[in-house]
Amino acid sequence: MISCDEAALICNKSQYQEASLPEKLKLRLHMLFCSTCSSFSKRNKQLSKLFNRAGLHFLSDSAKEQLRKRIQNEL
Amino acid sequence: MKSGKLSPELWVDRYADYLYNFAISRVGQEEIAKDLIQDTFIAGLKSAENFKGQASERTWLVAILKRKIIDHYRKINSKKGKAEVKRLYNPASDADGDWLEEQVADPYSIRENDFLENEELGMALQECIDSLPENQRRVFVMKTIRGLSTEDICKELQINPSNLWVIIHRARTALMGCLNKNWFTS
Repeated sequence: MISCDEAALICNKSQYQEASLPEKLKLRLHMLFCSTCSSFSKRNKQLSKLFNRAGLHFLSDSAKEQLRKRIQNEL
Repeated sequence: MKSGKLSPELWVDRYADYLYNFAISRVGQEEIAKDLIQDTFIAGLKSAENFKGQASERTWLVAILKRKIIDHYRKINSKKGKAEVKRLYNPASDADGDWLEEQVADPYSIRENDFLENEELGMALQECIDSLPENQRRVFVMKTIRGLSTEDICKELQINPSNLWVIIHRARTALMGCLNKNWFTS
């Protein structure tokens, strides 16, 4: 049986499709007995869905650098 | 931060992404959004003495950005020489020259509501990301928003994978706590 820390690690990995099948099975088994981890897993999945739905945009580092320079010039 | 004082050297780090999302959801195009943000920062610097410190720095910058967005639409409408009212319900659509009459709400469409809800959600997520400690913010954005691989992030930041997952775990837990419970279904 894996610990809650390990369960959380696998759960986080699977949000990025980086958990292996044996890991996922271990997580499943753990969650059968651990309500804390199964509620964490549920919310974690929802968080991933929210991020997918929102489709956030972030400026690239180079765009930010440009903006910084532009501000510096004006100061 | 003292009230009534602005810190322009921190504007890009603190507000650029937030303003960028705000602008993109209203003008739909990344390049235009970038220009508008730059204009907003410059205008902010020029009118810095008008900042009374009653509003937060960000609220103040958003107010300037809103004016820039209105100016932007005025400009493109006057170029056409028509009193055409352009409203962008769907930022993904590049459809040009749609008349308002053609855009009357379609009772069978939920697109407009989707747009509003997504924007509200986007801003809520953005605010929570901005409240993360810098190292968590950086790793989380690289992994989740930019979709970089674990390997690439570890290489770039000189950390090992288990560090990365600890940071991701802290960030995700903090985000769950920060986001209003309404966004989660129990």
